[in-house]
Amino acid sequence: MRRIGKLVLAACATAALTACGGSFGGDEPTKSDAGVKLSEYPERVYWGDAHLHTSNSVDAFGFGVRLGPEEALRFARGEEVTSTLGLKAKLARPLDFLVITDHSDALGGTKALAEAPGLLIRDPVMKRWHDMLNAGPEQSLRATAELIDARAHNKLPPAMTDDATAAKRTRSIWNDHIDTVERYNEPGKFTAMLGFEFTLMDGGKNLHRNVIFRDGKARVKSVVPLGAWGATGSTDALWNYMDAYEKHTGGRVLAIPHNSNLSNGLMFEMTQPGGGAMTAAYARRRSAHEPLVEITQIKGDSEAHPFLSPNDEFAGYGVAGWELGDLAMAEAKTPSMFAGEYVREALKRGLAIEAKTGVNPYKFGVIGSTDAHTALSTADENNYFGKHTGVEPSATRALAPQNLGTRLGRFGWHYLASGYAGVWARGNTRAEIFDAMLRKEVYATTGPRMTVRVFGGWDFKPADMKRNWVRAGYRRGVPMGGSLMPPKRMRGERPSFIVSALKDPIGANLDRVQVVKGWIDKAGATHEKVFDVAWSDPAKRQPTGGKVPAVGDTVDVAHASYTNAIGAPELMTVWSDPEFEPTMKAFYYVRVIEIPTPTWVAFDALRYKLKLPPEVTVKGQERAYTSPIWYDPPK
Amino acid sequence: MTWRTRSERLLRDPLVHFAVLGALIFALFGNATGADERRIVIDAARVERIAGQYAQNFRRAPSAEELDALIRDDVKEEVYYREALRLGLDRDDEVVRRRMRVKMEAFGDTAEDIAAPDDATLERWLAAHPERFAGEATYAFDQRYLGADATGASAALSELRAGRDFAGAAIPLPAQFEAVGAGEAAELFGDDFAVALDRLPLGAWSGPVTSGLGQHLVRVRVRNAATPPKLSAIRQRVENDWRAAIARARTERAYRALLERYDLVIEKPE
Repeated sequence: MRRIGKLVLAACATAALTACGGSFGGDEPTKSDAGVKLSEYPERVYWGDAHLHTSNSVDAFGFGVRLGPEEALRFARGEEVTSTLGLKAKLARPLDFLVITDHSDALGGTKALAEAPGLLIRDPVMKRWHDMLNAGPEQSLRATAELIDARAHNKLPPAMTDDATAAKRTRSIWNDHIDTVERYNEPGKFTAMLGFEFTLMDGGKNLHRNVIFRDGKARVKSVVPLGAWGATGSTDALWNYMDAYEKHTGGRVLAIPHNSNLSNGLMFEMTQPGGGAMTAAYARRRSAHEPLVEITQIKGDSEAHPFLSPNDEFAGYGVAGWELGDLAMAEAKTPSMFAGEYVREALKRGLAIEAKTGVNPYKFGVIGSTDAHTALSTADENNYFGKHTGVEPSATRALAPQNLGTRLGRFGWHYLASGYAGVWARGNTRAEIFDAMLRKEVYATTGPRMTVRVFGGWDFKPADMKRNWVRAGYRRGVPMGGSLMPPKRMRGERPSFIVSALKDPIGANLDRVQVVKGWIDKAGATHEKVFDVAWSDPAKRQPTGGKVPAVGDTVDVAHASYTNAIGAPELMTVWSDPEFEPTMKAFYYVRVIEIPTPTWVAFDALRYKLKLPPEVTVKGQERAYTSPIWYDPPK
Repeated sequence: MTWRTRSERLLRDPLVHFAVLGALIFALFGNATGADERRIVIDAARVERIAGQYAQNFRRAPSAEELDALIRDDVKEEVYYREALRLGLDRDDEVVRRRMRVKMEAFGDTAEDIAAPDDATLERWLAAHPERFAGEATYAFDQRYLGADATGASAALSELRAGRDFAGAAIPLPAQFEAVGAGEAAELFGDDFAVALDRLPLGAWSGPVTSGLGQHLVRVRVRNAATPPKLSAIRQRVENDWRAAIARARTERAYRALLERYDLVIEKPE
């Protein structure tokens, strides 16, 4: 078994890694993907945003955004654009990939207002009206009068009431969108992927999913984004749609839930949606379609809540405001709901459900993304362009009440300038990025571009760090997102992890690196523990009571500045679990914590000379979360 | 230009849309007491369309039950839509107003409607906007990481210069880079490091070199100065830029044409 395990891992490392993520039939030839040189194994992380809205989204334009997919793509790839409110904007560091995820409900269902005009021109009467309309104001008025008359007497040309033609019209936004994205996809340089947001709601409770395609125009044009209203308003309908797409086109598609923190306990239930014991079939379906969760974004962070993790002093990042209720603030939140909302607890629930059904529905990896509705993908504190056009940079946005579905207790400053997705791929193409997502070799940050690696295995030693440790990681272990198979016979082995974290080259130093472990005991109860595994200034910062003391604080709020006089640029260690119990299922993920830095609100205060009330968060410790590595005991 | 392509152009003509849209809304309100206002007909064509959309997404026809649910939902939407119009939500609601504006703008030419440009057009565009397409220097180099400070730099440098290896401190970045652009180098190591790549001696280990991550020893193996890009290498990018500019100009022109039909009075408060 041990031998077999090794062989399988070796195959994953050398044979394209895709072997671990499932099989991909019939690659669609996309332009010059073939010309992109792939590394033997993922050597560098690609940064991107898998959740961005443009003027094609019903709420984004409602808030006034004027920038469409074209501007979004230009901005993400590093070109200068003019924001809706007239500011010139350019990313100092371009992104490597972008998925525009406009709400499907806006793209698909614009109905009468939009549809009527598109029908006209095949009809000779329409043609005449068109010419009159162009012949000057007087003729134009006459044409309009004729039109009104025809409508009143039910004598409009049949083209105007032809539903089939109208359906064609509703496709046009999507098709234009696909064409635009296709033009900006530049394999090896900048990957533009196709996707949409399936905006599923239960009352005000957020059950949104982003849907991302691996494929290009030829396949994706065969579908239109699925609306999340009425008869197709369920995850079941979404997964049916995804199955049908894959079956029909031979392509691949995945879904990523987001803002579990605003679901009032519904995103990660112990039961089936709507109640009743969760079935193995549901659990299998969910994990097959939803390999990732968006753990952090502008509308808060969903990793951990202090109510659930009272011993974790770093829990509770980005929960202020968002913890008050669901997305629409239609229903206030009660503490019993938190367990169905936060990712760490969901990972634990997954183990508990697996113990009962044999399948883990919540075996997912994590990414960060922005969910910006400005078409501008920004996640840094000093360039934060806002959640939507109503809160693009201005003197009032920090304290503005945010009725993005809420009038109670949520203000501009509750938004996080977060986050991005880090993807370990062998090259910058749609296929490589997508496959890395499928195998969960991805991680989230709240914005800073920290480089984080973790490999789990059975025989990693500190000496492995001396040379070629990445190769050793792939050869003798599994990367983030993987499952650690037990050796054939346990002879007292413990899982060991190579953990490496590097600061953002233009950002803050690192405070510490932690391993977060969750497990399930024989009685079926789940547990969690956070281990500090590497930290700066270890000689001075001796752990007391099992905890490493705080790193300190150099933030000068008045100047929105900090210094790297504390912390470390890189932290690396080989850590093995001192409390390993071979009979218990467990997961391990890495959390990297930066030293304290000023938030975007502090930058606003400096820029606009604001006086902020004391409750406003003006500094914080940004972080990265990796996808977990799971351990399964021998059967 | 065939009649068909011409008609597809016309489909997007803002004037037609504007007039018809206005007419429809006027008709709806002007006729608010008509019997038709309280009559919803889901005819066979509409049912076919509903079923067709389902089939497109799910690759099978809906079951009778599913179709009934879809039709019920369509009715619900129609009822709400009509009631919303009756309440004047389209007039009072900022969101709807803006949505209508966006739709009108979208009826104008989008970047996708513009015919494919020939090489000569793009060559001219490239020549007219060299700053947007400037090439960048590329490098091949090796790096060893020393840590936050340069302790032990000179000893390590001697090792490397003598042809012996020195692994340096482990970081999750490659030790060897090929064909890296200046921009990518700056993203990975910070601006100072990228600047340093231009002044380090070729083919020899040197340092310590400061990056955003700490101190490194670096050997630049290849340095290719930035050259003006050839159209063939960046054709898609130039075309994208050209298309976006043409689309902006056309949208602006279409708006001007509409605006000309209005007398505009702006009264600012004293």
